[in-house]
Amino acid sequence: MTEAPILIVGGGPAGASAAATLAEAGLPVLLVEQRDQLGGAIHRQPANGAGNHVWRPARHRRNWAALTARLRACAGMIEIRTQTVFLGVDGEGRFLFDDRRAGRVFASRPRAAIVAVGAVETIRPFPGWELPGVMTAGGAQVLLKETGRPPEGPILIAGSGPLLPALAAQLARAGNPPVAVLERGRPWRRPATLARLALAGGPMGEAAAYAAALALARVPYRGGAVVTRAEPDGAGLTVGMRIGADERVLRVRHLLIHDGIEPNRVGIPLPAPEAAVPVLLAGDGREALGADAALLDGRRAALQLLARLGAGAAELAGLESRLERARRVQAALAQALRSEPVEPAPETLICRCEGRSYADLQALDGDASAREIRLMGRFGLGACQGRFCGPMIAALRGRPVPAASPPRWPLRPVSVAALARLSTDETE
Amino acid sequence: MASSAAIHVAVIGAGIVGAAAAHFLAAAGARVTLLDASGPAAGATGASDGAVSVASKRPGPMMDLARHARAFYVRCERDGLFRGLFHRRSTFLVARTAVEAELVARHGADLAAAGERVVEVDRATLLARIPGLGASVCAALEIPDDGHALGYEITQRLLGRSRIAIRRNAPAAEIVMRAGRAAGVAIGDELVAADAVLVAAGIGSAPLLGLGEILIPRKGQMAVTDRASPSGPAIDGHLMAASYLAAKRGIAREDGHIGLVIDPLMTGQFLIGGSREDHRSDHATDARTIAAILREALDLYPPLAHRRVLRSFAGVRTASRDGLPIVGAHPRREGIVIATGFEGDGICLGPFMGACAARLLLGEAPAVDLKALSPQRFLRVEAHA
Repeated sequence: MTEAPILIVGGGPAGASAAATLAEAGLPVLLVEQRDQLGGAIHRQPANGAGNHVWRPARHRRNWAALTARLRACAGMIEIRTQTVFLGVDGEGRFLFDDRRAGRVFASRPRAAIVAVGAVETIRPFPGWELPGVMTAGGAQVLLKETGRPPEGPILIAGSGPLLPALAAQLARAGNPPVAVLERGRPWRRPATLARLALAGGPMGEAAAYAAALALARVPYRGGAVVTRAEPDGAGLTVGMRIGADERVLRVRHLLIHDGIEPNRVGIPLPAPEAAVPVLLAGDGREALGADAALLDGRRAALQLLARLGAGAAELAGLESRLERARRVQAALAQALRSEPVEPAPETLICRCEGRSYADLQALDGDASAREIRLMGRFGLGACQGRFCGPMIAALRGRPVPAASPPRWPLRPVSVAALARLSTDETE
Repeated sequence: MASSAAIHVAVIGAGIVGAAAAHFLAAAGARVTLLDASGPAAGATGASDGAVSVASKRPGPMMDLARHARAFYVRCERDGLFRGLFHRRSTFLVARTAVEAELVARHGADLAAAGERVVEVDRATLLARIPGLGASVCAALEIPDDGHALGYEITQRLLGRSRIAIRRNAPAAEIVMRAGRAAGVAIGDELVAADAVLVAAGIGSAPLLGLGEILIPRKGQMAVTDRASPSGPAIDGHLMAASYLAAKRGIAREDGHIGLVIDPLMTGQFLIGGSREDHRSDHATDARTIAAILREALDLYPPLAHRRVLRSFAGVRTASRDGLPIVGAHPRREGIVIATGFEGDGICLGPFMGACAARLLLGEAPAVDLKALSPQRFLRVEAHA
C-alpha cells in the first residue's frame, strides 16, 4: 500500500517550501494550488506562458528558481494539482477542494495538512473605493505580473506600506509610472524608527532601488497624504485627497489602494495542538511577515510536522531566530508608517458584496455579536464571506470580529453542480 | 392580581418567540427584562428558512394553529409592525413519484378540510409558473395563501419597535422560586428579580424547567446560493418536496432524512434545505449531507446547476418528545410560562405564540385554545411511567 500523502494547501513560497522539505525527507505530498501555476501572489508567473518579465528584486527571482529546482528534483514524491480552489474544512474533518478543471468538488481526509493560503490585503475605506477603476495595489501587481502590461492612463497609488513604492517602481519600469504615491504615514518624520528599521536588517537596498526608480521617473512620494473620496468621471475618476493640511483633487484613470496585509484566516480552522490529524499554518497565512519569511516558515511547518511524525528537527531553532528578525523588521516598518485611524463618512461602503455602508454598521448595537453583524447587518454574507470586509469592520469597531464557529465553508462560491458531484477519498 | 402596569416579566430567550412575547408584554405596559445566553436570533430563529407556511403542517392542532399564526402575520403586516418583512407567496407541494403524488393528494385533502385554499396544478401549468422544473415532477398542489418572513428580521423589528433592551451573553442558570412562586432568574451569582418568567430558550429550556428530557435537538443543514435575480424572489413560490411532507407527517422517520425545500429569498438568492438529524445540537455542516441535499434540489429544479453556493450552515430545531410545541403554564411551578418545542415551525408560529404567551403571563386567556400544547401532558406521562 502506498503511503498517504501530506496535504499542502497553497502553492506560494510557504506551501512550495513545505512541499520540498517534506518530499526531500521522503514523505509523499499532495500540493494543491488554486491558480494554473505555482508561485502565489509574490511569484505569480506570466499567464499563458507569455515571456513578459516584470522588474523585481534579483533575490526573489533566485529564491523562486532555487525552490522550483528543489520541487523538480523530488517530483516523484509530489503530486501537484492546480486550478483547484480550497473551500475549507467541513464538520467531519474533510478538506474540500473545487477542482475547476473537472467541474467537481473533491474531499480529502489527509493524515496531516499544512495550510499556506497567504494573506489578504486590507484597505481603509473612503467613499468611492468600490468604483470601477479602483482596485487594490496587490491585485494590480498580480495583474502586472500576469500580463506584463501596466494599466493604461494616469494611475494614482494610495494607502500605506512598502508595496506602494515597490508597485510604483514596477509600473515605472513597465512604462507607465503613477502620477503620485500617497503614503498615509509620515516616515520622514520618524527618523528614529527608520534607523531602527535599518538596524533590524530591513531591506534598505531594495528600498533604495525603488526610490531611485521613482526619482528617475519623477514620481512624487508624499507622506501624510490620504485619499478622502473618489467619484466617477467619464472613463476615469476624480480623486479627492488631503496632503498635510491641503485638500486637492486629481483626475486619474486608475486608483490603486492598499493599507497592508493580514493573514487569510476566514474559515480556516485554527490548529489544535492535540488533534489526531495535525494541521499547521504556514507563511503569511500564519503571520504576515512577507515573502522571504514565508519560505522559512514553510520549511519550519514541514520540520514541525516531521518532528510530530517522529523525524528529527534540529534546524528549527535557527529558523525561529531568522523569523524573529523578520518580525522585528515588520514591527519597525509598521512603527515608521503608523498613522491615526480616520472615521469614514457614513455613506462609505464597507461590504461591497451586499452593499452595506458604515452607517449600516453603526446602526448595529455596540455589543452586537459576529452573528448579528452578519444576520442583522448583512455584513460578510456575500461572495467573499467577510474575507475582505472583516478586517475593515474589525478596524472600525476597534476589536476583532469573532470567527464563525464552527468555521464556515465554502470559503469561495462553488458551483451547485460541482458540489452535488462531490467525490471523496473515503472507502466506507 | 397585580395590575399589568406593575408586573415585571423576565423573558429567557431572544429568539422569535421570546422577542414577540417581550414585545407584546411591553405593549401591554409590563416591564420586561429580555435575557439571552448569546444574543437576539442566535438559535434556530437565525438559522432557518423563512416559510410562514400552513402547507407543511401536520393535520390536527398544528395545521389549525398555523392558520391562526399566518393570519397574525397578515394582521401585523397590515398594522405596520411587520411591514416590508412579511410577503404572501405560494407554496407548491411537489411530487416526483406515484407514491409521492398520493401523499401530496392526501395532504391536500387534509388542508382543504382545515379550511385552506388548495389548488391542483398540472405539470404544464406548473412549468409555466416555474420554468425549468425537473422532468420527474408529476403532480403538484399550490397553497396560495402562504407567506415568507425571515426570523431574524422579525425578531429585530419586534425588539426595535418596543425598544426592549436585551441582555446578551446572559445564560440563565436557574429560575429562583420563593414561597412556591417564580421570583426571578439567576444569571451566575446575580438574581434578576421578576414577578413572572417566560422560558422560550429552545433547547436551553429543558434544564430550567425540571420536567425531564422533554426536548430533543434536531439539526438541519442548509445551503444558500448566489442571486438568480437582482432583487425579489427568483421563482414564483416556495418549492416543498413530498419528502418534506413525509417527515412532517411522521412517515419518514429515519435519522438524516432530507426533507427538501427550495426557498426563493427576497434577495434573489435560494435557500436550500435541509437535513433532519436527531440528537445533534452542533452547528457543523458536512460536505456529504450538503451534496446530498443539492442532488435532490437539482433533480427537482435543474436550473440550480447555474447557481453557486455561497455558504452552508446548520440550525438546531428544538423538538418536543411528542412532536407538538409546548406552550402554557408550568404544571408545577407558579409564575412560569413555557413556550418552546416549535421544531421547524417557529418562524411561522413564533409571533402568534409569543403573543399568546404574553397574554398568559398577564393572566389573560390566549386568543385560541392551547390545551393541545399544554406542558401538563408531560406530567401525565411521568405519572404513568
